[in-house]
Amino acid sequence: MAKEKPNKSKKDVAKGASTPPVAEKKKRSVRLPVLLLFCVAVLLWSAWYYGSVFHLSREYSFWVADTRQMDFILSCSFGSMRYVGRALLMTYKYPWLGGLLMAFLLTVGTWLVGYCWRLKAKWRSIQYLPALAYMGTVTYLGLDIFFEAETGYILGIPFLTVLVLAICGIMIRSFSRKKVHALFAVPADETQRDNLFQLVVCIVGFAAIIGFNEWKRPYVRVITQLAAMEQEQDWEGIQRVARAHSYQSNRPMACMYAIALVHTEQIAYRMYDIRLDYDSLYIHGKDGTHNNASNMYIPEGSYHGGFSESCMHSCMEQMVMEGPSLRLMKLYIKSALMRGEWELCRKYLRILSDVPFESAFCGKYGAMVGNDSLVNADPEIAKIRLTEPLHDSFESMYQPPLFMGYNLSLVEGRSVNALYNSLCVCLYTKLMPAFLSRLEPIMGTTPPDIIGDGILLSASKNPGLENNFTGLNMRIPRIQSFMQQIQPYMSDRPGHAYELFGKYKGYYPYYYFFGNLKATKKGYTGEATSNSGVN
Amino acid sequence: MNHKINIFLIAIAAVLLAACGKPAAQVPDQYTQVEEQANIYPDYTGVVVPPNIAPLNFIVRDSLADAFVVQLQGNGVELLASAGKDGVVQMDIAQWKKLLSACKGADVSVTVYSKRGEKWYAYKPYALTVAEEPVDAFLSYRLIQPSYELYRQLGIYQRNLTNWDVRTIYENNREFDNKANHCINCHNYRSNSSADMMFHVRANFGGTVIIQNGKAHKVQMKDSTIITAGVYPSWHPTENLIAFSTNKTGQAFHVYHDEKIEVMDESSDLLLYDVTKNEVCHILRTPDDLETFPCWAPDGKKLYFCNANIAPLLRPDLPDSTRTQQLMIQYDSIYYNLMSVSFDPKTRQFGEPQVEIDAASEGKSISVPRVSPDGRYVLYTQGDYGQFHIWHKSADLWVKDLQTDSCYALNEANSLDTESFHSWSSNGRWMAFASRRMDGNYSRAFLAYFDKNGKAHKAFVIPQENPEYNILLLKSFNVPELTKDSVAISTDDITKCVIETEAENAKYIPTDATFRHQKPKTDAVTGASPKRK
Repeated sequence: MAKEKPNKSKKDVAKGASTPPVAEKKKRSVRLPVLLLFCVAVLLWSAWYYGSVFHLSREYSFWVADTRQMDFILSCSFGSMRYVGRALLMTYKYPWLGGLLMAFLLTVGTWLVGYCWRLKAKWRSIQYLPALAYMGTVTYLGLDIFFEAETGYILGIPFLTVLVLAICGIMIRSFSRKKVHALFAVPADETQRDNLFQLVVCIVGFAAIIGFNEWKRPYVRVITQLAAMEQEQDWEGIQRVARAHSYQSNRPMACMYAIALVHTEQIAYRMYDIRLDYDSLYIHGKDGTHNNASNMYIPEGSYHGGFSESCMHSCMEQMVMEGPSLRLMKLYIKSALMRGEWELCRKYLRILSDVPFESAFCGKYGAMVGNDSLVNADPEIAKIRLTEPLHDSFESMYQPPLFMGYNLSLVEGRSVNALYNSLCVCLYTKLMPAFLSRLEPIMGTTPPDIIGDGILLSASKNPGLENNFTGLNMRIPRIQSFMQQIQPYMSDRPGHAYELFGKYKGYYPYYYFFGNLKATKKGYTGEATSNSGVN
Repeated sequence: MNHKINIFLIAIAAVLLAACGKPAAQVPDQYTQVEEQANIYPDYTGVVVPPNIAPLNFIVRDSLADAFVVQLQGNGVELLASAGKDGVVQMDIAQWKKLLSACKGADVSVTVYSKRGEKWYAYKPYALTVAEEPVDAFLSYRLIQPSYELYRQLGIYQRNLTNWDVRTIYENNREFDNKANHCINCHNYRSNSSADMMFHVRANFGGTVIIQNGKAHKVQMKDSTIITAGVYPSWHPTENLIAFSTNKTGQAFHVYHDEKIEVMDESSDLLLYDVTKNEVCHILRTPDDLETFPCWAPDGKKLYFCNANIAPLLRPDLPDSTRTQQLMIQYDSIYYNLMSVSFDPKTRQFGEPQVEIDAASEGKSISVPRVSPDGRYVLYTQGDYGQFHIWHKSADLWVKDLQTDSCYALNEANSLDTESFHSWSSNGRWMAFASRRMDGNYSRAFLAYFDKNGKAHKAFVIPQENPEYNILLLKSFNVPELTKDSVAISTDDITKCVIETEAENAKYIPTDATFRHQKPKTDAVTGASPKRK
């Protein structure tokens, strides 16, 4: 440590340097350890608030220590940084662990910026700007930080920055003997005003970051939470989160929600509890062009829809383009288990076993390899088996995505679940002739709510149709009332869809007339809606 | 000070060695003999190996054992290797060479000892047979993900089979770049020599790269009468000619099937490309016959190819635009026969196509004919239908003995999974081929011995320094081609040719190839299908 000069000038005293003669007034002033508070705030942001985003980024990433297996990254530019970044990202298996690491990197980086730039007390708030800019960029990019993107940059860039700054700091320390402030203590040269200004910069910075996310990217955390829950098979959790954000509308969310409903056999009861108009997301593909995010949900939709082969297809296509990822490998393993491709499972499990924190997954599914009974006893797989196709055909014979198109054409199903899925897809696509042609097997029964409402809607053009089913009479008054109430809005259905959603949430006839229209005028993002219609 | 450092380093080394748990490579004094054979990966038990092959490193799978010792002995030479709990046995290459050299034409006995607790057990020994004839030292292959439609990082590589050296012949763009994205495929050599080589580049920088005399140039075979460009190639053994198929190929993806992908041709013809003159002409051009996979006989006087007549599958009342759909729904009724057409190298005239094997009449289909260097055998893949057999589990290796006119499956080399894209070594005693037998998805390069009596022996995957390589690698070995020598041109020169040069258009020369044959016939001489064993 450099020795301090024994005698301070008046100028120093005036600036607030800690000297005993003028300390009386200063002792009463409150100066907060802003860097410590900043560290805590970063931890909360990166673990609690944004942890699900980084957790999903990890699932979209892949890292093993073996450099030969990581050649697809190492042979690219900044390969080593990507490699290290991916390694660090693995800690986000547990968001608080990853958050601690990120908080450490950003805090140390901030501290080193202050040191290396020799920032005086009144300029010290500048040291927070690089970290805030980083967090701001991450927030601005939203889903783009991991979707068809290099996940190694997420922690690789902070790591490299800290490394460079640390080297600079060591050099500065070696040559100039500049005094080093303690990491979390209040520097002696800081006045209350300097201290307050730093605090304000941090508060404004965090408020801007979180405000921007809530205003412009509110779907990012919801989608990532739902995707994580899908991996955990938390079907109730998915429904709870999706319904809590029912005004948000995007395809990944709708797909995860539908998956949860299929697994809880609620698809024919609760499908329309969320808005299904599909506002545009801020998401881009590898080539930088706007993307419809289909790669975020098609593998999952195919797998849970009973199309393990198509799931493998979409997983492999993504692995070709992006390299392996934990998410795709896990889906591939489960699909291979369903197909009885044991050696393939062993191969992927072997590779996955080298990834940190994946022993639980490997243990669970490794035990099923070679054992059909165990595979079929798995609750998730058992449910999926109910909707597997009965016969082979080619994907291109159906409207994409397959898990929708196949159900639109379904003529023979494996179970009543398959029939309900098919009927629900017909209703979702509003193809009522296809819906009607599939009703025969459930005639004489009381259909689930949504199917019942679909029957009553169809009955206006097919008088007497409702008489083939039981339990529908109770629903007739509501549909009659609904038809009367919506008349004023029928001339501009897209224009009124958003405002009517709250009133008719969950009600299929509302969706039939107002949902999933090509141009819903009012969306929560304020951005142009996607121009894709019913798919 | 130095002394302390030395002690510290020795201590670290001791700790590391202890952590590895690899015992000294010596046969235990006392052990219990067990009746089972060791479970080793890859399966190298009972195989015939070339005398110049790299060590057959393997993993012993025994979860109860803590350590292993492997003893190989034959003709008085012994090789010992050891492994820790991971069971990874890696042999010394010099000792291995010495052993194989001493055992040419004889057997090597392999005994695996495992240590469970304090006791040693000896598994039942197995044998390796060392052949007299070496395999061509170099194996070229493409590494590509077993992808469906997309491609990214892929390359053509050449492995020295006598050691662990691998050189990159060419790799496409490692970084994603739409403007630079390109696929490379169909690498091919003339008569097992790297002196004449070619491969195709698709998408950006498209063309066919031809390498001769250490120089590369790029050509394009385009004409309104040519379906696409040159696809499956075969160098003429003596003339500077390459026969190509030209195919309009599509893929379809199964929804619920043991196989994942069906690759179908909607149309295909045969082309002859004159490398010296940069001219291309049709050999066969027919609308209802799908000709593909050309292969010259070693004397250059006959061209073998596969052909499927699809006329019976197409309904005349439906428009031509429905052709793809019609073929797709009857994908498992498309059968390819093996055919040949004579060629006069002096006049460059082709004769009339002849049926060599009428597989269609038996409800089978043939692809990738390759004639042995001595001209006696045609090695081909036979499957239940179609031509892209690398995705068909029914695909097996067969040969037709041209002397006896008999056809038979190479059962010893085949597996329950796919075998295809095979090639001969220059001495005709070894076959390299791709097989998906290890996991059903990722193809690996295998070698099999083909003896003087026309009998194939058990195939084995090409050895790797790390025997786990084939498990950890997320790419397929594609089109393994054996050559005697290594590619002389540098990767940079090839890259320069691919990226920086424009493909030169080949001049199209019209011929009377159109409609030369309308329907595949049975044997033109006997009128009968060839015999089968």
